[in-house]
Amino acid sequence: MDSTQLKKEIQERRRQAQSAPSEESRPAEHNMAELRKLQPRYRGLEAGHRACQGCGEALAARLVTEAAGPDVILTNATGCLEVFTTPWPQSAWRLPWIHSLFENSAAVASGVEAALKAQGRKTKVIAQGGDGGTFDIGFQALSGMLERQHNILYVCYDNEAYMNTGIQRSGSTPHAAMTTTSPPGKERMGKRHLKKDLLSIIAAHHIPYAASASVAYPADIRRKVRRAVSIEGPTFLLIHSPCPLGWGIESDISIEVARLAVQTGLFPVVELERGELTGVMPIRHPKPVADYLKLQNRFKHLFTEDPRAREEREHLQALADHNIEIYQLKGDGMDALDTDGADTVRRGGMVD
Amino acid sequence: MKQLSRGAFALPGTSLDFKTGTWRNEMPVHNHFGAPCHVACPAGEDAQAYIAKLMEGHEKEAWEILVSANPLPATTARVCPHFCEQACNRKHMDQPIAIHLIERYLGDEAIKHNWAYPLDAKRMEGEPVCVVGAGPAGLSAAYHLRRLGHPVTLIDALPEPGGLLRTAIPVTRLPRDVLDAEIGRLLKLGITFKPRTALGRDVRLEDLLAQHAYVFLAPGAAKSRHWSVDGAVPSDLREGLGLLKEWLIVGDIPKPKSVAIHGGGNTAVDLARVMKRAGVAEVHVITASGLPGPDADPKDVLNVVPREFDQAVEEGIVFHAHRTIQRLLMRGSKLVGLEMVHLKKLPGAGGRSSRVAFEGTETVLHVEMVVPAIGEVVDAQGFESLLGQADYFKADPLGQITTSDRVLVGGDARGDRGTVTAAIGDGRLAAAAIHAKLTGEALPDPKRRPFIDYDKLNVNYFEPSPRAEETMLPVGKRTDIDEIEGGLTRAQVTHEIGRCFSCGNCLACDNCWTLCPDNAVIKTQERAKDGSHYVFDYEYCKGCGLCAHECPSGYIVMTPD
Ligand SMILES: Cc1cc2nc3c(=O)[nH]c(=O)nc-3n(C[C@H](O)[C@H](O)[C@H](O)COP(=O)(O)OP(=O)(O)OC[C@H]3O[C@@H](n4cnc5c(N)ncnc54)[C@H](O)[C@@H]3O)c2cc1C
Ligand SMILES: Cc1ncc(C[n+]2csc(CCOP(=O)(O)OP(=O)(O)O)c2C)c(N)n1
Ligand code: SF4
Ligand code: SF4
Ligand SMILES: [Mg+2]
Repeated sequence: MDSTQLKKEIQERRRQAQSAPSEESRPAEHNMAELRKLQPRYRGLEAGHRACQGCGEALAARLVTEAAGPDVILTNATGCLEVFTTPWPQSAWRLPWIHSLFENSAAVASGVEAALKAQGRKTKVIAQGGDGGTFDIGFQALSGMLERQHNILYVCYDNEAYMNTGIQRSGSTPHAAMTTTSPPGKERMGKRHLKKDLLSIIAAHHIPYAASASVAYPADIRRKVRRAVSIEGPTFLLIHSPCPLGWGIESDISIEVARLAVQTGLFPVVELERGELTGVMPIRHPKPVADYLKLQNRFKHLFTEDPRAREEREHLQALADHNIEIYQLKGDGMDALDTDGADTVRRGGMVD
Repeated sequence: MKQLSRGAFALPGTSLDFKTGTWRNEMPVHNHFGAPCHVACPAGEDAQAYIAKLMEGHEKEAWEILVSANPLPATTARVCPHFCEQACNRKHMDQPIAIHLIERYLGDEAIKHNWAYPLDAKRMEGEPVCVVGAGPAGLSAAYHLRRLGHPVTLIDALPEPGGLLRTAIPVTRLPRDVLDAEIGRLLKLGITFKPRTALGRDVRLEDLLAQHAYVFLAPGAAKSRHWSVDGAVPSDLREGLGLLKEWLIVGDIPKPKSVAIHGGGNTAVDLARVMKRAGVAEVHVITASGLPGPDADPKDVLNVVPREFDQAVEEGIVFHAHRTIQRLLMRGSKLVGLEMVHLKKLPGAGGRSSRVAFEGTETVLHVEMVVPAIGEVVDAQGFESLLGQADYFKADPLGQITTSDRVLVGGDARGDRGTVTAAIGDGRLAAAAIHAKLTGEALPDPKRRPFIDYDKLNVNYFEPSPRAEETMLPVGKRTDIDEIEGGLTRAQVTHEIGRCFSCGNCLACDNCWTLCPDNAVIKTQERAKDGSHYVFDYEYCKGCGLCAHECPSGYIVMTPD
């Protein structure tokens, strides 16, 4: 079959795949299709993807591709992002994008980058994966990619469990969180182990730039992406991305919850260069971790009469305090880039 | 082409073929709620709207928004108690926006640059209306009637327009060049102004009604209430408003060693400050009301602009709150002191509250003079038939009265007003009502819209930021002529407008556009039809509610789809 024929066939199937009945037409005040094309930002990830309502990962990927611009090739590990963006025969990506397996996003990216290099092209490669595909199964591929100094930005969308297969615990799942494979019960109060300190492992690769970020702070994400893609060599970005389904929250509060993860110290937003800490987002007023935990069903068991509930809450508070201490997150007065200042809006739009 | 044995490809962005909007249970919509500042302003000024325009850098257009409600902004900026600031949601975070200083800046710029009201002064297609009284209520009615195209005749008993703005409010608070500039600009709108023309003395109500379709009565309240203490009155008694007016015209004020002013309103406090500056060593204000303060019941406090009270205290005026005068101490016909007693307004039988004096709390105050300033009632000369025996008019919110269907009333002549801004609001509503009656349109709805509370905003997106401070003459430098309060610099104004939360209205901050995981918020090129800068693409919006939750201004709400 030649490619024009294939395209035709795809178009035909796509027509059939429009199973969703078209909406009762509303009075069209604006020509949406035209306006969409005129948006003053690059649209790397389009609408029509199948992410759940309020998906933090969809938002994070949208922000990353927006900031990286059009001269990019993406790879993707298996996981929600891969599944919800590419329901065949459609794709929500407006960039070259390739998916192979759960474990090999970094390896595929390494190959793409090597090929581009051989062709003398400057196109940036961005490898993407969920926390399962990064902290766990894809970890050796990632480590190899970093060690071989490929010119790739690896972005991990951290929603703290294997969401696509039904919320199994991952190396990134926080201590005491409930997943289907770490249920609270007689033996344990949710996940027994701690969230893997991935950034420290990444730091040990002495790469030029690694950072963490949160969907609650889009301007910070954009800045870090631009920084990372401008660096020739391996860079790494970990983006905390709430999953309403997996965390047991209403879809409208994903950002609220993400913001609290940062403001409590449970998710430190930091930057590392050659393994050294070079920047943090200071916390202006650290919030108690209970504020964060109580919004989420995955921590519901920590708010029961069980004496272990109290203990685990204190444990999580201690972990947050520990983060604040080792990363020196406590702010010193008002700072335009601290946890209160970094998301400040102004009339007429954000400037970053 | 070599075929891959496995795999597939799709064209970029083809997911647009799949309309995720069908997943939605709730849809986000823009909802322009009332802003507290707007709802609270008796004149109907929309501070948020002119702040937004100013933020875009359009000063004149901002002023035009301002004068679409209030023709005298440089004046009200100086004398209004600033209900807007008292309501401003920003007070819950740090301090209210200094709205009156922004208003003042625009008002003063307009005077400086001679900006004209955005209306056609030649348009005269309506019906003739007569306005009686050129105080703020009458001036506002005349202005709004002109905006609506009606010919207006404005009469006043005095030689100059302005009402109490000119005859009572001290120049240290309202410089007359400011007042003259604003009133002069207003009268140039094709208004026939007849000074020295008193209803009852020079013209009759019947004649006015014969020559005009409607009459708007705004005579204020100028007749002093009768005052005595248990029937006793010092032979040389002068009442407060009279003294103040005389001082403004003649520049003369009695200078006893000590004085007690009886009353709890603007007249009492202004007179106290004038007498203090004139050299009266001891100035006391005796009032049945309480003093303004954080725990004070707003219904019980002194009826003055709060910062006037603060300045009076600064200047050394002694306030005796919750007190009344029980007895005058006389040596022959000469006053030597008075006896005060504690009293409080308490709910009595039948739900009506009455003032109760408490036995055993009497104290003596040695003063040479006592001046009553307990308020004024309407002087009904010329329209006795409309007022009857009452002290004030009872009118509906539009100014309509039961004794005539061609006369509307506003300002202090209604018993339920008492501020310049309320008078201006009355003038505007009455003009709109008259216009509606003349054209057969629906009457304006005077009901205040509900406004958006602080807890409906997402203040995570705002930073604490101190309120801009105006300049203020120190007590030692205050004179009888120099304005005490100053304005803001343009730089300060810029800082101040940046503090506005844009409560209940689009801030154009891009938050919804930035945070929608589904690219379903689309930024418009110009403004969207609803005045915002974004439209929802309901073909794709899944109804997650993120944008509504994260909208800093509470402008997005989720409704069942
Ligand atoms: C000393 C003092 C200080 C004040 N300070 C403040 C303040 O800081 N802030 C504030 O908001 N308010 C203040 N007020 C109250 C405010 O001045 C009044 O609420 C406001 O002026 C009422 O406006 P008006 O148009 O109803 O009446 P007025 O201002 O009283 O105007 C009435 C006009 O009608 C004319 N008139 C009356 N009878 C007739 C007639 N028969 N024929 C023709 N013309 C007639 C009068 O000559 C006058 O010009 C103060 C009042 C006083 C006395
Ligand atoms: C080798 C292999 N094992 C298991 C799976 C099944 N699988 C697909 S996605 C996924 C979980 C993905 O989790 P994560 O990487 O955290 O991404 P998320 O879906 O949470 O975004 C799993 C276990 C697979 N596709 N391949
Ligand atoms: S913050 Fe702005 S919109 Fe809200 S009440 Fe204050 S001035 Fe008005
Ligand atoms: S954030 Fe996007 S998908 Fe969610 S309700 Fe708003 S417009 Fe709809
Ligand atoms: Mg995951």
